[in-house]
Amino acid sequence: MELPLAFNDQLFIQLTVNGVTLGSLYALIALGYTMVYGILKLLNFAHGDVYMIGAFIGYGVLSGLGGPLSPDLALAPLILLMFLAAMLGSGLLGVAIERFAYRPLRDAPRLAPLITALGVSFFLQNSVLLLFGAQFRTYNSFVLGSPTPELFEPGPLIDPVFKIRGVNIQLIQLMVLLVTVALCVVLTLFVARTRVGKAMRATAYDREGAMMMGIDVDRVIASTFFISSVLAGAAGVMFGLLFSQVFHFMGFLAGLKGFTAAVVGGIGSIPGAMLGGLLVGLTEAYASGYLGGRWGDLTVFGVLILVLLVRPSGLLGSKAIQKV
Amino acid sequence: MDAPDQQPRVGVDDWVAQHEDRVDQRTGFAALRRRLGRYVPPPVQLALFTLLAATLPFWMDRGDLFAYGIFTLMYILLGLGLNVVVGYAGLLDLGYVAFFGIGAYSYALLSSDHYGIHWPALATIPLVMVGTALVGLLLGLTSRRLLGDYLAIVTLFFGQAFVVFVNAVNPIVHGQGLTGGPNGVADIDPLRFFGYELTTRRQQYLFLLGAVVVVLTALHFLSESRTGRAWRALREDPLAAGAMSIPVHRLKLMAFAIGSAIAGLAGCIFASVLTAVSPGNFGLPILITIYAIVILGGIGSLTGVVLGAIVINVSFQFLAPENPQSNARVLFYGVLVLLLLLTVRPRWVGAALVAAVLAFGIVTQAIVEALAPSWTGGSIVQGGRLGGVIDDWAVIPSGHGNFGNVAYVALVVAVIVVTRLHGWWQTAALVPTVYLAAIVWETSFVEQPAVARWILFGALLIGLMTVRPQGLLGTPRVEIV
Amino acid sequence: MKKGFFVAALVAALAATAAAFGGNAPARSGPTAAAGPDTALIRCGRTRTIGVAAPVTGPAASIGAQQARWARFFVTRYNARRANRRKKLRVIVGDTQLPDTAQAIQVAERFASNSAILGVVGPAGSQEVQVSTAPLKSGGLAFISGSATRTTLTTDRTRRGFFFRTVPNDDQQGPKVASHIRSVVRASRVVIIDSQNSYSTGLSDTVQRILSNANVNVRRESVNEETTTDFSSLIARIPGDTQVVYVPWQLAPKAQLFGQQLRAAGKTARLFGSDGLFDPDTFKIPGSLVSFFPIDLTDPVIRQYRAGPGGGESQLFGLPSYAATQVLAQAIDKSCANGNATRAEVRRNVASTVIQKPNSLLGFTQKFVQRGTFPLGPGDMQRPADFGIYRISATGNYVRVA
Repeated sequence: MELPLAFNDQLFIQLTVNGVTLGSLYALIALGYTMVYGILKLLNFAHGDVYMIGAFIGYGVLSGLGGPLSPDLALAPLILLMFLAAMLGSGLLGVAIERFAYRPLRDAPRLAPLITALGVSFFLQNSVLLLFGAQFRTYNSFVLGSPTPELFEPGPLIDPVFKIRGVNIQLIQLMVLLVTVALCVVLTLFVARTRVGKAMRATAYDREGAMMMGIDVDRVIASTFFISSVLAGAAGVMFGLLFSQVFHFMGFLAGLKGFTAAVVGGIGSIPGAMLGGLLVGLTEAYASGYLGGRWGDLTVFGVLILVLLVRPSGLLGSKAIQKV
Repeated sequence: MDAPDQQPRVGVDDWVAQHEDRVDQRTGFAALRRRLGRYVPPPVQLALFTLLAATLPFWMDRGDLFAYGIFTLMYILLGLGLNVVVGYAGLLDLGYVAFFGIGAYSYALLSSDHYGIHWPALATIPLVMVGTALVGLLLGLTSRRLLGDYLAIVTLFFGQAFVVFVNAVNPIVHGQGLTGGPNGVADIDPLRFFGYELTTRRQQYLFLLGAVVVVLTALHFLSESRTGRAWRALREDPLAAGAMSIPVHRLKLMAFAIGSAIAGLAGCIFASVLTAVSPGNFGLPILITIYAIVILGGIGSLTGVVLGAIVINVSFQFLAPENPQSNARVLFYGVLVLLLLLTVRPRWVGAALVAAVLAFGIVTQAIVEALAPSWTGGSIVQGGRLGGVIDDWAVIPSGHGNFGNVAYVALVVAVIVVTRLHGWWQTAALVPTVYLAAIVWETSFVEQPAVARWILFGALLIGLMTVRPQGLLGTPRVEIV
Repeated sequence: MKKGFFVAALVAALAATAAAFGGNAPARSGPTAAAGPDTALIRCGRTRTIGVAAPVTGPAASIGAQQARWARFFVTRYNARRANRRKKLRVIVGDTQLPDTAQAIQVAERFASNSAILGVVGPAGSQEVQVSTAPLKSGGLAFISGSATRTTLTTDRTRRGFFFRTVPNDDQQGPKVASHIRSVVRASRVVIIDSQNSYSTGLSDTVQRILSNANVNVRRESVNEETTTDFSSLIARIPGDTQVVYVPWQLAPKAQLFGQQLRAAGKTARLFGSDGLFDPDTFKIPGSLVSFFPIDLTDPVIRQYRAGPGGGESQLFGLPSYAATQVLAQAIDKSCANGNATRAEVRRNVASTVIQKPNSLLGFTQKFVQRGTFPLGPGDMQRPADFGIYRISATGNYVRVA
């Protein structure tokens, strides 16, 4: 039985950094779930696999350009290219999924798209398994960009950017946080200020009404899927850069956490998804840090159940006004 | 003035009132089913099903009986339980599989060497069912505050927490780990009634069949009773039901309890058939399968659950890699030909398409062979009679490593293109697409049948839901916005 | 369109059902005919069939696929030899999808019912062996696992004559690791991290017990290696003055990740991996120790695998499955010498098969124990079957040190 560790501020800061980093990834995935739910009341269980494909596209770009140990480009443009390719690819994939799997079921009973989503998930996961094989693919982010990768000298991604009370903050962790914040800000502005954003909000509020106002609902839904998948793709590449390993099953697990984050934050609410992601990430970090692997997972569930019992519509979810 | 029977009736929404007439006028499978339902009353349906199912052990070998027979019945049982919670009461319970696990582990602890307790099944099964029902009740208490997707999440957590508890936490009770950790509990006794043990697969199958019949009957009566009607009202509109003074919360608890009890029963039987349980048996894959069965069969329909379980388990097991691939090949080409013949209108175009694909194949094969023989040098895996014919028809290269992968990607693109085309262009594009599908089957899928199985299964789910979103035996619902 | 599709699906389903049951026609062995499959004569002919049970899809696919590949690799090499042109081997793969043992038992039942199958390589996990025992035994099949290490599988003697394994069990590997930690590395502060699966907890428990009895300061942690990628919280729990971290895991990429994150966090503890982590292509943390068979990494067979099915990687997790297939093939050869064989005969021949050192990829002469004393049981490999200890050099090469 592991012993809970005594409180000391260095451990606390380290765990907080871990939690925030993890939480950023979950937040991005949660945003995807929440946006689609807001518009279609649909839980897109294939979302996690779009994230997985984003990670694989990033890997594809990386190995196409020489591989992690001897890349053809400098680090910064390489990473930028990986991000762009993954975001674009995932976005298109999301639109395709909507077009072929979900559109025919637009007016179907609520649970039908669940099965379609599962079918899409099986299809994507195993297509990747068929094409890439079962072995883990690695970004080798530990040595990525390092001048002497064969000597296992850590690359610039791992270099500490600054220290807080002796705890290293790695470049990649900082990058993940900044990119996530940037994407969230862009998204919030987009939804609040632009015409497409307004159309999205209108469609989420009342689809029939939006149609009567002349909004092209099909276009709006496709845009929503595009944006949510772009975020997932970005998250996929970030995961690869943070943790190196990508494999066909990763979407399933991350999707579950992202879905949890979306619901805990209040499904349908964009700031809720961000907050939910952060909460889940931090809870996971603190629980496994202070209590150890065995009780850690269980504690995370317990805490989240408590949150939901105290606030049954999620942290920032709106109390559903039931129309009679 | 309108004739008296054509005057709009005051106080009645005409369109809604004509719903029954529209239902009567439906053609196709729904009509068939309705007619069947009228002429063949449920008890006779059940009897027919039982009779047919009971003959299975006499013409299936042991392996098939296990995979097709026992597991289909197990899924039916689980599906029936989930149907009560999701189908009757409309509660999205994503932790259902935990009750299955609680039932299995409880039985395991009461009938194995783990703690040296060996109670007979007559004692353990009712006890486990009651115990699981109690846990279900406890979980159901959260449904008072939580609605819809939030309930789903909490139940999901519960399910995950169960697996973590059983696998990693494994508290020490009476000197050893309660649940055996990742190893689980092994050497579980077979079901024992009055000294008679169910050890052979045939015995276990027949017992399971009996259990399914009993549960089906019980649920049928429950569904026809006041409680069943109250559940349906609850599912359609909880607020209105509440306004009708239906005890909404009590009904939800009851649904949870009954669903869990059935899962507990399934768990007992599962544990005794497998003789060992471990945490991996109760994870998300099983939950997904049970949900697929219930939704595919049509939520709320008992016959639907049975049919859904048969369709899903049979197709899944049939495509299993340990099944001789020559059989799967027959199915694949059979389905392809049938699809072409039945879905392309007019009919003669469909037949012409099949001929065109054959011709296209022969021609392509001849051309490729003449130009670059190594591209047709490969051969069919696990041929059989059909295989020999296919070998001369499809282009199968030897070597050329990534051909299978490229062909697969090309096939996905081709299918997408075909769906975007219209008219004659679409029909014409179908020919190379079908040929490509055959090539992908022979080069990629047969090499990796385990992976191919999942891809086909996923495609099947997508296709079935697109065509019949209400499930095989569900009724298209009239939703008033 | 909808009606047509639906009728098509229905007809297809019925046809499938019909075809499926026609497929396995010869095996009419009903559930009561337990003696039948055991002694039924199987015509050997030009093709002999073996079953390979491994988790080829699902969460454990990365290790299951390796095993299936190595098993197939042996069969490819076997079939390529001139001497075998009239007696080729054929492989049927069963997807057991660890950790869901329900699939494993279905695979076992179907293998048992498939009258062409002479023997089975696998299953992979100890829980899978547990549930597969009854069907495989009643089918009379020998099953040789390349990765099921739980000690009681052989020492409880319920699978004697049926179950064999080409890996040392937990109680063989554990003591060697513990003694190396104590005597050679001379560590006094050790952290053991199990990965919440059967293989890992078995080894962790054994090593922890031995080290604690020797008054070494042992701290036990736990993490789910399959689902975890962020080990930072776990690493934060490891005291800075730890000397050795024992990680009996199965996923080399995860161990590599863990090692890198450990370094990045500034902790200097040395990693010690079990045989599941022996992967020169993936697990390369300098200074780490790994236990594995005393193999020859430059062996041409391994190089051939790398160049062929391995796609540039050695994927040595599957190496014991190669050895298992080799044993099975030799046993089948012997049984089929007179044109037909029974499964019982194959079993007896497996038990008595000896693979001499020059032919054995594992680095020693392979022989199975018939009776055995703890920690060996019937079905384990006889001495000198044991693991060596390797150290990873600064350039990532594996060097044998014990």
